[in-house]
Amino acid sequence: MLRLPFLRSIPQVTRVASLGARTNSTGAPEKVEVFIDGQPVLVDPGTTVLQAAAMVGVEIPRFCYHERLSVAGNCRMCLVEVEKSAKPVAACAMPVMKGWRIKTNSDLTRKAREGVMEFLLVNHPLDCPICDQGGECDLQDQSMAFGSDRSRFTDIAFSGKRAVEDKNVGPLIKTIMTRCIHCTRCIRFASEVAGVDDLGTTGRGGDMQVGTYVEKMFLSELSGNVIDLCPVGALTSKPYAFMARPWETRKTDSIDVMDAVGSNIFVTHRTGEVLRVLPRTHEDINEEWLSDKSRFACDGLKRQRLVSPMVRDSTGKLVMVEWEDALVAVARALQSAKGDELAAIVGGFADAEALVALKDMLNQLGSESLCTEEVFPMDGAGTDLRSNYLLNSTIAGVEEADVVLLIGTNTRFEAPLFNARLRKSWINNDLRVATVGPDVDLTYETENLGDSMQVLQDLAEGRHAFSKVLNGAKRPIIVVGSGALQREDGATVLQLTQRIAQNARVAANVGHDWRVLNVLQRVASQVAALDLGYKAGIEAIRANPPKVLFLLGADEGVISREDLPKDCFVIYQGHHGDRGASMADAVLPGAAYTEKQATYVNMEGRAQQTYTAITPPGLAREDWKILRALGEVVGVKLPYDTLTQLRARLTEVSPNLTRYGDVESANYFAQAVELAKLVKAQPNSAPLDVRQKTLEDFYITDSISRASPTMAKCVQAVKKQRQSKY
Amino acid sequence: MASTAGTVIKSGVKQVRPLLSVDNAEARKRVLNLYKAWYRQVPYIVLEYDIPKNESQCRAKLREEFEKHRHAKDVRVIDMLVVKGQMELVETVKRWKQKGHVMNYFRTPINPKPNDFLSKFIAGSA
Amino acid sequence: MASVIVNVRPGLKLFQSVLTCSSRRAFGSTSVLMNEDPLKLAQLKDAPLKSLDDLLSSSEKNDGLITVENKVDISILTGVPQEHITTRHVRIWKPVKHAMQSGTNNTHKWKMEFESRERWENPLMGWASSGDPLSNMQLSFGNKEEAIAFCEKNGWDYSVNEVVEKQPRPKSYGINFSWNKKTRTSTK
Repeated sequence: MLRLPFLRSIPQVTRVASLGARTNSTGAPEKVEVFIDGQPVLVDPGTTVLQAAAMVGVEIPRFCYHERLSVAGNCRMCLVEVEKSAKPVAACAMPVMKGWRIKTNSDLTRKAREGVMEFLLVNHPLDCPICDQGGECDLQDQSMAFGSDRSRFTDIAFSGKRAVEDKNVGPLIKTIMTRCIHCTRCIRFASEVAGVDDLGTTGRGGDMQVGTYVEKMFLSELSGNVIDLCPVGALTSKPYAFMARPWETRKTDSIDVMDAVGSNIFVTHRTGEVLRVLPRTHEDINEEWLSDKSRFACDGLKRQRLVSPMVRDSTGKLVMVEWEDALVAVARALQSAKGDELAAIVGGFADAEALVALKDMLNQLGSESLCTEEVFPMDGAGTDLRSNYLLNSTIAGVEEADVVLLIGTNTRFEAPLFNARLRKSWINNDLRVATVGPDVDLTYETENLGDSMQVLQDLAEGRHAFSKVLNGAKRPIIVVGSGALQREDGATVLQLTQRIAQNARVAANVGHDWRVLNVLQRVASQVAALDLGYKAGIEAIRANPPKVLFLLGADEGVISREDLPKDCFVIYQGHHGDRGASMADAVLPGAAYTEKQATYVNMEGRAQQTYTAITPPGLAREDWKILRALGEVVGVKLPYDTLTQLRARLTEVSPNLTRYGDVESANYFAQAVELAKLVKAQPNSAPLDVRQKTLEDFYITDSISRASPTMAKCVQAVKKQRQSKY
Repeated sequence: MASTAGTVIKSGVKQVRPLLSVDNAEARKRVLNLYKAWYRQVPYIVLEYDIPKNESQCRAKLREEFEKHRHAKDVRVIDMLVVKGQMELVETVKRWKQKGHVMNYFRTPINPKPNDFLSKFIAGSA
Repeated sequence: MASVIVNVRPGLKLFQSVLTCSSRRAFGSTSVLMNEDPLKLAQLKDAPLKSLDDLLSSSEKNDGLITVENKVDISILTGVPQEHITTRHVRIWKPVKHAMQSGTNNTHKWKMEFESRERWENPLMGWASSGDPLSNMQLSFGNKEEAIAFCEKNGWDYSVNEVVEKQPRPKSYGINFSWNKKTRTSTK
């Protein structure tokens, strides 16, 4: 068994924009000394008491405070005593002063906490047995830790507890507003992070209600995050309702592959069934958020699954067979093709291990036509320079930019978490965003420069009005969506973008660390495939129709039976019975992303791995193992039997693929621009367009979301909401 | 988060308290004595436990069990193996074991587990 | 130095054939000295004499400590079947804060877990059955080095998910009311 010979532990540096720190003459803020429970700690001025206590290791209980939202200070649970102060102070909002002595466990503090808890529980229904949040509820834990043991609520015998009607905010969020403690986290999230200002409070005092006031669906691609934010069971997940208690489930770390952001997730499962997907905190990618498709499309993993190998018999029907028969049938077909008569197309969910196994096998059989479904212009520098197809600034790098130009992309639906980061930067750092393409609502103010190719050409020449802004920017970022590069003149689009980026970079005069050009990929497998040497786009296959075609999860229907010769043998390996499997002559059932330990590279170039949560259903196997077994039957014995050996091969081909968690940055931008000059500029007159313009288009984009009933309900609900007058 | 895989090949030595032996020579003596004790016990095992094996088969199995750990280098590991072997011998001699326990040494699976990749793949194991 | 010899069962004696000198020569002896030419024997040197103190003090030199290699593999001693040593992967990580709660008490230890294998629903009670003996094996350690040392000692293949220390972001209540920044809140 091969073992990697050396440790790689490169510390990550997270960049945080600092707000309003007072500076002294040397430029660094002078630290202030405060005492938390007698322990001195030096903090920057402007730090809140709660943060100072967290630095010491003292955690102050809170409900309304959330690190990534604005400070509200309305729950009063974080009250702590400060010496020489008459009243306890709200730790989440009060900035520390020099010399303060803060007591987080004194009698006054404890009395305050018990009092607040008592009031919260007065109007809170006794729903714990039927509430989904039981076991992961802040109210339960904090009442045990900080509340008093008895209640003085005698009004139960008279007017009773408050009750509030449930609100309907969509098919994803279940609202039982009686449980709401009015912490306003959901309101702040909707307003600040999601950009959809629909949630608010109505009424005052005991009659206060949180909701949309009129029955309105919460139309945001990040709406599921309020389920995590709500500290009580007021907002819970509708698809997950009453399914499981958290202590009987297991959490497995994994990576989301519904888009190319590579958000870190937890897959919650029990008895071999995926129950839900929760976000895992990663400061540089998805912070603590997760898009709706990633969160709720997991029920598509149970439907339309391929559970057995199938081969088309003489009558033309796909018949379930055993593995030996299927492997022999496929091997016979593979052996009959020579050189480029054998081709492969890979889809959006293929992992790096399967990609390298497929490439090794087909290369040994003499074929070089391995293509990805997603087109990327191969002219000019093409995919030879990594910087050409990555999001070079990294997702977190957006926080340091001052001007962003988005070309041919709707980041709101193509990469919702990247868009959330752009919005965060727009709010906190006054980011200026301009778009070239259709005028879409990105949840923040953008300048739309138009959608014709002329705009791009003007920007490249410096003739456009916006060029002045770009050239005056100190840290510009240009993002071109991979959707815009799918066109016939995609090479021209890329070339123009590169010129714009190079001009902006030169004008901004930034150091080597700042990268301007970015490409926003839309599928999770694209970067890994391009790193491994796959050709982007099936032009090569269309030009040279093969006799045997291997589809590795290719379900977007870019090629159909009509484009192939009559006797072409199509082999499909994937996990869902979608378009690819229906046109195949042999079907090999593979594993979905929750069922294998696989490597995916996100659009920044960061390699991450999913871990197995459950095993593939029926006779399905892991993708690379199918390819390895197939190779053995064909006679091409691939040199790896275990995952470790396969990963050694991955490292051999492209070392960044196994450096999990690190962004391997790319360079050679100037050279790419030079190579791009070789592209014959033949721009199309068609305007730049995006495929996903509104929320209805967001939910169903790939084979897993097509199979998901929750996603279908979402599309229906959004369409219904459009007809409402609110 | 960066992820580091595999093992760190640590070279170098450390000072530790010995388990029983202080050097390889002593450990070797222990191992050989244990082997001899088992070897001499074999006829009585065959006689008393009435197992369907003859003496030479038992001795071959004894040899095989010792050969399995021929490459153990750390003195403490060798000591521990000797201690475990000694415990097994005591249990065998004092008749705490039963016929089945003794025959466990000779157990071969009825369905041998697949060894090569293709058989494991078709059987569905990891 | 007590060596470990077990007495054979009391009541039975070992028979040992005693061969005479002459019979040894007749059958052939394995002893080198018996077959050697006497002249050559005279030229052999004696082994160098070691003093008694030397022999007795070798173990006391290091306070009774001995020198062993750093890398120890105790996988043969632990009783773990060989297939669960060679085929298993270990993941060493530090748990992150659960998204639904704000408590961080579970995030301080380093945990070690094996890759999950098949679990299915038991038809009798609906509990989770598994054929994997290490499915519930989750160990906690105080720091990463201890976890790594444990894995290496037991011979498992491991990978470590490093922890990124995050910077606390600056928070201020006042920016909710700023007149010129977009951080001015429009809602509660």
